[in-house]
Amino acid sequence: MSALDRIPTDNGDLALLAGLCCVLLGGLFALTPLRAQLPSAFYVFVEVGILFVIYGLLVLGLDLQYGHTGLVNFGHVAFFAVGAYGTAMLSAQDTFAGIGLGYPWPLALGVGVVAAALVGLGVSVTSIRLRGDFLAIVTLAAAEILHSIFVNFEGVFGGNVGILGVPRPIAALVGDADTRLAATLLVIGGITLVTLAGVTRLTSAPYGRVLRAIRADELVTRSVGKSTVTYKTQAFVYGAALAGLAGGLFALYNGAVAPGFFTIQVTVTVWIGMLLGGAANHRAVLAGLAIIMGLRLISRFALDVTPVSSDVFASIRLVVVGLILVAVIRYRPAGIWGDPQELGVDR
Amino acid sequence: MGLLQNIIFGVVTGSYIAIAAIGFTLIYGIVNMINFAYGEYLTLGAFIGFFAATTFPIPLPVAALVAMAGGGLASIVLARGFFTPINQTGPVPLLLTSIGLGIALRNAIRLVAGREARYYDTETTTFRFDAIPDLSVGSVDLLGGFFVTSEQLIVVASAVTVFVAIHGLLTRTDVGIAMRAMGDDENLARVRGIDTQLIRDSVWVLAGVLAGLSGVLLAIQTNVNATTGFSQILQILSAAILGGAGSPYGAILGAYLIGIVLALSTAFLPSGMSGLSSAVAFAILIIVLLVKPSGIAGTEVREA
Repeated sequence: MSALDRIPTDNGDLALLAGLCCVLLGGLFALTPLRAQLPSAFYVFVEVGILFVIYGLLVLGLDLQYGHTGLVNFGHVAFFAVGAYGTAMLSAQDTFAGIGLGYPWPLALGVGVVAAALVGLGVSVTSIRLRGDFLAIVTLAAAEILHSIFVNFEGVFGGNVGILGVPRPIAALVGDADTRLAATLLVIGGITLVTLAGVTRLTSAPYGRVLRAIRADELVTRSVGKSTVTYKTQAFVYGAALAGLAGGLFALYNGAVAPGFFTIQVTVTVWIGMLLGGAANHRAVLAGLAIIMGLRLISRFALDVTPVSSDVFASIRLVVVGLILVAVIRYRPAGIWGDPQELGVDR
Repeated sequence: MGLLQNIIFGVVTGSYIAIAAIGFTLIYGIVNMINFAYGEYLTLGAFIGFFAATTFPIPLPVAALVAMAGGGLASIVLARGFFTPINQTGPVPLLLTSIGLGIALRNAIRLVAGREARYYDTETTTFRFDAIPDLSVGSVDLLGGFFVTSEQLIVVASAVTVFVAIHGLLTRTDVGIAMRAMGDDENLARVRGIDTQLIRDSVWVLAGVLAGLSGVLLAIQTNVNATTGFSQILQILSAAILGGAGSPYGAILGAYLIGIVLALSTAFLPSGMSGLSSAVAFAILIIVLLVKPSGIAGTEVREA
């Protein structure tokens, strides 16, 4: 039996393998004198790419909540922010404003994830029974409350400045910018792929079938003896924890967190990516997110050739993004790669 | 400033929120959707009123009427274009569509009108009442001198006029009675020969008219820019849900509650945390949804 035969063909396992390879390769760049050279035109791709893999974790968590279980969480950015702030506040040294405790970053990352999961638990314990559109409103309002808390408690969260001086583990190991960017993209991208493998395992297991049954018909699921509230709470907490992981990685990559990074715009981007790709299909939601974030690249390049200001261009891009959302729901309610029959939508 | 003055501020805020919340809650009750783009209708109204008042100099009340007409027209056009075709898909796709439409509208307005804030040119008379004695309880002054401006009086008077008109419409006219019937049970209404699509259209027009008026009043109090209405959408939504989604009378009550809570928390939160006042309003919304999800008057919104 050759080594080739042992490469798994299953989607989830393939993602796991690819993810581990990415992390290893990234680690190789970070720990050995091996150096990467990026063409300078490539920078913008890598930067958007890093943001994409971080948002990829967000969309995987959201897809677990909405795509699989049918929970309309419109405050996803809240858990992203809690993970980021939790990690930043525990690990930051000599922050300019707010609290920085200076603990080692792996501990901080863990605490960030747990904090996001706990906030998710709090939201779901109180609100998971609400009807879809009202759950959307409660989660949205919770995100707004959290945002204004981050802005207003300057002594704790640093106000609009946020928390500075967060350690950047990869930047600390690698000196030159090219290698640093490549290693960051590979490591975080690898983590996203491993997560993809994990959620694929979870949702192809009988557990995932129960989640999809809840989305299709909660009453029927309950009548066959499943505690739907427990399942919904679990799915919500898993999604929140993934968002917290994304937030923690973002803080450790960015070296600082501020309320400006965690606006409703993040939630909207992730939602549109998920709906465009096709909810309940892990690879499709990532592809949809890639399309939406690719628009950012297009607008950056178009900026150089057209005589309009970046302000105007940002507005045009958001008009397009809004209309894409409207068009997807109307003409392809299951998304590009989604399964209309499985999602229970006509057309 | 005494408590009395802050309550006056709260009543003024509550007044324009109430006008918008009635429109919002009517859409909720009859079209069965949460319209997240509704804030943009307010912005549209504010801009239409502003340009009507400045380009052909017409008095402000006439400009407000133009804004109401424009708001109604915009509302029905947008509804026909975006919401009516997917009416049957349920509340979540409608909510998501309205979020997308809201982003597109907000940025289209910003594209056309730019980022700067514009101000309505109004003349204000301030009425001062300084002779009221202080009535201090601890550090809180329950009475104290206060003032009202003519603008504030106009806002409150418009709101009261709207309440009376809406009450008359819903109880005395065929259209209004049909609206209430549809809000109650759409199938039953259709069986009784009510043209449900016509009623739905008239609700859209009515909601747009109310948004236009509320937008002008809001803009007189603050200013006109691309996020004038969007900055109020969560307050409007909170008011409507607080009052029991679908109930116009509940929405009025909810709006004044939100307005007064906003004003009082701005006044009495420690300085530097006054930005938390909106968080207080949303916290009330969440608590209401958890404790009595049907709102002050309304229907059950929990499934299990």
